Amino acid sequence: MIDIDNVTKQFGEGAAAVQALRRVSLTIPEASFFTLLGPSGCGKTTLLRLIAGFELPTGGDIRLDGQSIGHLPPHHRPVNTVFQSYALFPHMTVARNIGFGLEMQGRKPSDVAATVNKMLTLVRMEEYAARRVDQLSGGQQQRVALARALAPHPKVLLLDEPLSALDLKLRKQMQGELKRLQAETGITFVFVTHDQGEALAMSDQIAVMSAGEVQQVGSPEAIYTRPRSAFVADFIGDTNIVPATLLRYEGGRAVIRFAQGPELCANAASDALAAGPVQVALRPETITLTDAADPAALMCGTVAESTYQGAATQLTVRLETGPEIRVEVTDPPSPGARVGIACDAAMLQVLAD
Amino acid sequence: MARRSTKPRELRRQPLFTWVSWCVLGVLYAPIAVLILFSFNDNRAVMSWTEFSLRWYGAALENEGIRNAAVVSFKVAAIATTAATIIATMAALATSRGPGYPGRSAAIALINQPLMIPEIVTAVATLAFFSILRQVTGWTGLGWLILAHTVFCIPFAYMPIRARLADMPDTFEIAAADLYATPWQCFRHVTLPLLMPGVLAGAMLAFVVSLDDVIITLMIAGPGETTLPIYILGQIRRGVTPEVNAVSTILIAITVLMIAAMFTLQKKRP
Ligand SMILES: Nc1ncnc2c1ncn2[C@@H]1O[C@H](COP(=O)(O)OP(=O)(O)OP(=O)(O)O)[C@@H](O)[C@H]1O
Ligand SMILES: [Mg+2]
Repeated sequence: MIDIDNVTKQFGEGAAAVQALRRVSLTIPEASFFTLLGPSGCGKTTLLRLIAGFELPTGGDIRLDGQSIGHLPPHHRPVNTVFQSYALFPHMTVARNIGFGLEMQGRKPSDVAATVNKMLTLVRMEEYAARRVDQLSGGQQQRVALARALAPHPKVLLLDEPLSALDLKLRKQMQGELKRLQAETGITFVFVTHDQGEALAMSDQIAVMSAGEVQQVGSPEAIYTRPRSAFVADFIGDTNIVPATLLRYEGGRAVIRFAQGPELCANAASDALAAGPVQVALRPETITLTDAADPAALMCGTVAESTYQGAATQLTVRLETGPEIRVEVTDPPSPGARVGIACDAAMLQVLAD
Repeated sequence: MARRSTKPRELRRQPLFTWVSWCVLGVLYAPIAVLILFSFNDNRAVMSWTEFSLRWYGAALENEGIRNAAVVSFKVAAIATTAATIIATMAALATSRGPGYPGRSAAIALINQPLMIPEIVTAVATLAFFSILRQVTGWTGLGWLILAHTVFCIPFAYMPIRARLADMPDTFEIAAADLYATPWQCFRHVTLPLLMPGVLAGAMLAFVVSLDDVIITLMIAGPGETTLPIYILGQIRRGVTPEVNAVSTILIAITVLMIAAMFTLQKKRP
């Protein structure tokens, strides 16, 4: 278990100072696949480098299984990294690369050889043991990098966008493989990506970051269906953010009303919002279209645009109150039609900010 | 004609360029060519060619003075090169790895500065400084010459090593540290092997510079510490002998081989 406790990281001094992380607190459970997700520059790599020990925190501490490691040099931390650029040693063979960590730990040569063979099998690279690393394809280098980081059996494996250099097909395949490796080894994986699809597909838990802060931590499902803020809702998948009015709370749920239609009991990200205008997240695929005059319609508008996407059609509906929302349906009305928007209240999420 | 007009600015196609190039190369290499040619001349009169022969090489190798000078030269060059390369490698690491520190660029400038100081100035300064030290310590011997060579070889060794290090991303060293390598193991197993072409290039440059040096050596060398260039200089005062031609040709061959090896090594990228 990794405890990131109030960690702050500042680069530079004075006017040129950059606050890369602001009071980040996270608990990464043992043996889980944990993903750091966020836009470029939000501090994901910085957090990973702090865990690995390539940078030291400006404030706060990092604990691994209760022991403070925040200020240890990298070679004293039972943590290994898969680098985005792989950083395989160009002057060594595949096998020596994989055995490097064990060798540095002073293991017996016979142990090293045995583990290297096990790792080569694990990443399915047996035939390549004697190759030089510059004779490998991108995907193969990736596997060697993985094997090299896994060989010393670290407590934590850090992966900084390890799949971003691969093409789409290989990427999908490696996603599955990473998941399999995590399950087989039982090592805690901390995975960095800015691809939300990848994060949803692979993670046990996701931490969504923005501008050096953690916005929300939760399972992929919780993050997707119960986003706390407009930022998270928007960052994870396609979403509509629609204004509504909060009337009151009832049994932990928020009673809201849209421009028209009935009062609804929606999920709320916070139970301490003041009554009045709020923002509600509405996923395009949870929306159904009805007649504009239907009493169940929450709002209505006209179809502005229709894009065929194979399995479904994506519509852009211009609401009578002004904003546009996106809707995914299978039997689309023609552009210009007046439609009502309906939605299962359980799929609505009132955002906290 | 049409082709020429498509790239009017290309230097190689300027009308006088080829001619000038050949002239420059001629001026540079003609004397050396003549020297090499006449080192194979079977004749004591330097300026008239009679027949091809290796007799002057034989004579040079049998000449006690030349043999002693060669031993001194190579001893000094070998020790000075080794010491200068080790120091230059450490200097290069200190000036291009790890977190920055105030005075880093000043340090780099200080290490390179001796290249810009006229050698005669360095020579006189070293002479003055060393005579004080010699008097104070009372030590004599080849050590002083080796020390002087080590010092002026450092910036030459430093240049290619630092260039290589600056080109080398530190990700490999970070990866090694991540994989439990202590700083020393990291240097031994990752930094040094990757830096080796630069280190060898630096060592060769230092070796050649030490082997060729005249001015500083002239000032520092004590009796019995005559190096090859100094010996040649002494002989020349009595007129050019074919023996000197032969020795010079051997020196040229060694230098050329070293420089060629250095370029090949520098081209090898990690
Ligand atoms: N060594 C450094 N010196 C100064 N600023 C830095 C340094 N490293 C990172 N930063 C700054 O810290 C912030 C976070 O950077 P970081 O690399 O952690 O982002 P990231 O989330 O990994 O982004 P990306 O998805 O683009 O890799 C950025 O604003 C960046 O400019
Ligand atoms: Mg990054």
